[in-house]
Amino acid sequence: MQYHILIKWRNTINLYLIEYAINAMLRQKYKNFFIFMILTFLTFLLTSVFFITNSIRFELDSTVNALPQIIVQKVKAGKGYDIEVARVDKILEISGVSDAIARVWGYYYFENAGVNFSIVGIAQYENQYKNSFAKVTEKFDFEQLKENSSMVVGCGVMQVMRNSYYKEYFNFIKPDGTLKKVTIGGIFDADTNLESNDMILMPEELVREIFDFDPLKATDIVVKVANPKEIQIVASKIKLMFADTRIITTNDLKVSYQNIFDYKSGIFLALFIVSIFTFFIIIYDKSSGLSSEEKKEIGILKAVGWKVDDVLKEKFYESFIISFFSYSLGVGLSLGFVYLLNAPILRDIFVGYSQLKTDFELPFVFDMQTLFLVFFLSVPIYIAATLIPSWRVATLEADEVIR
Amino acid sequence: MSKIIELKEITKIYEVGKHERIQALENVNLKIDEGEVIILKGVSGSGKSTILSLIAALSKPTSGEVLVEEKKISKLPDNFASIYRRDNIGFIFQKYNLIPNLSVKENILLPLIPLNLNGSKVDEKIQSVMKRFHIAHKQNTIVRNLSGGEQQRVAIARANVNNPKIILADEPTANLDEKLSLHFIDMMHELHSQKKTIIIATHDPLFFGLDFVSREIEIHNGKIVS
Repeated sequence: MQYHILIKWRNTINLYLIEYAINAMLRQKYKNFFIFMILTFLTFLLTSVFFITNSIRFELDSTVNALPQIIVQKVKAGKGYDIEVARVDKILEISGVSDAIARVWGYYYFENAGVNFSIVGIAQYENQYKNSFAKVTEKFDFEQLKENSSMVVGCGVMQVMRNSYYKEYFNFIKPDGTLKKVTIGGIFDADTNLESNDMILMPEELVREIFDFDPLKATDIVVKVANPKEIQIVASKIKLMFADTRIITTNDLKVSYQNIFDYKSGIFLALFIVSIFTFFIIIYDKSSGLSSEEKKEIGILKAVGWKVDDVLKEKFYESFIISFFSYSLGVGLSLGFVYLLNAPILRDIFVGYSQLKTDFELPFVFDMQTLFLVFFLSVPIYIAATLIPSWRVATLEADEVIR
Repeated sequence: MSKIIELKEITKIYEVGKHERIQALENVNLKIDEGEVIILKGVSGSGKSTILSLIAALSKPTSGEVLVEEKKISKLPDNFASIYRRDNIGFIFQKYNLIPNLSVKENILLPLIPLNLNGSKVDEKIQSVMKRFHIAHKQNTIVRNLSGGEQQRVAIARANVNNPKIILADEPTANLDEKLSLHFIDMMHELHSQKKTIIIATHDPLFFGLDFVSREIEIHNGKIVS
């Protein structure tokens, strides 16, 4: 049975034609090598762009999923102000609200490294609004940390501090210019890279001291809603209750985080590269077409009995071998570049440089759609660009071509 | 002997550019029997090569019909014309029309590639034809490194690898010295003995008056004059 299949396959696939195609490629090895390199590079660039954007989108989704459903901020003259902690009790009275927590946090600019740390206050016995914080409170006793003036930092923060020779403690400069020495009590594993890169968790009282916060006020209030479909309704109710507030929902945050990651610019660049890629192939084809030798060869082949489809099959094999191998190599190189080397240079283009220095590793996201997309943008376009001029010549009278 | 080729009222006009037209043949009528050796003679541009090209279905007549074994080949669609050539015609071109950077063997293989025959059969055909035309010892040599005479033997071997009924040769000795030209004539003689129909377009006097030649036909300004 297998033998019959092999015979059938042998009869369908003309190995002589494939051999001829390989020989034809080797006869123009320098030109074909150049095309192979260009195609490989473009595939590599395009695939890398897609891999990076996919990873960033994955990271973004993880971050957004960990965000609070509603954030209530106090606004005065268009600017954010500290909000009264007493408002928490009133928000809790709104039906549909399952929890409300006053957060004490802020950005601390560390001039030496030119980065912002997000300092978040944690109260040991309060409900935590993030899973990662809940895990931290299970692992670390914040009452103890309060007594020792200690903090728990993300891995990225630890790295930045170490680079500035702060290995055991860090000196925060308070608004009045005095220093607050806080020891590093531990390192926490965050749910997302973004968190671990810029976040410092410390007892609420320490945050209040570093930022000179009023004890009756907080940075904002986060609200949990039992039914996610009611987020907008609850948000409206809070707004009605406190006219001087800005209500930010998960959807608003998504938009804001998208801007931080700037993945839209990544997609834009991807489209741009696609255009250049297509443009390059078309220009190359238009400008070079077929040389007189190539035209004559097609004429000779027809004169010795090749049909138009024999010529086109041979040209198909030639272009398929070049484009498919360059595609495979490009994708392989791109996988290594993005996921093993963490996409040096390219990553910085896509990851927005906002207040945070987002020095995170790209998570591995294998997306078949991306591979198909790049395949259809490269291989068939190249094959078509090769077949069309060959078809034009092959359909002329052989006599005309040979003469 | 039965008729194998017939040209009926053939006119061929080449269009050069948008406005220029060159009349290569005008109302040509010709019948050729199987096994005949025909010499088409005449000066350059007289229309000899055009007749060969029409018989090989490499081009189509402007008007009239070309019949081979009673089949109208002048109106064949492109793919059928290729199959017709593959099965019936062996064409030896003036400049040989070999692919210069392929080996002797690879050039001779060309007409067999679309047939997708099994390896041993292909090898058998190639070896046999190479031996017959004394080029087997150069089978792996790249064609551009061969002498004119050797290249012509490759062209003859390629033209015969499919064992066609009709051999067409266009100015076959134009690039050869007398010795090699005589050798070519010997090879044509041998093919004639195998009952091949041979048509040679030439103005080389060596071909005139040969004993195995059936007819000499003179073409002048696209017309048969004698």
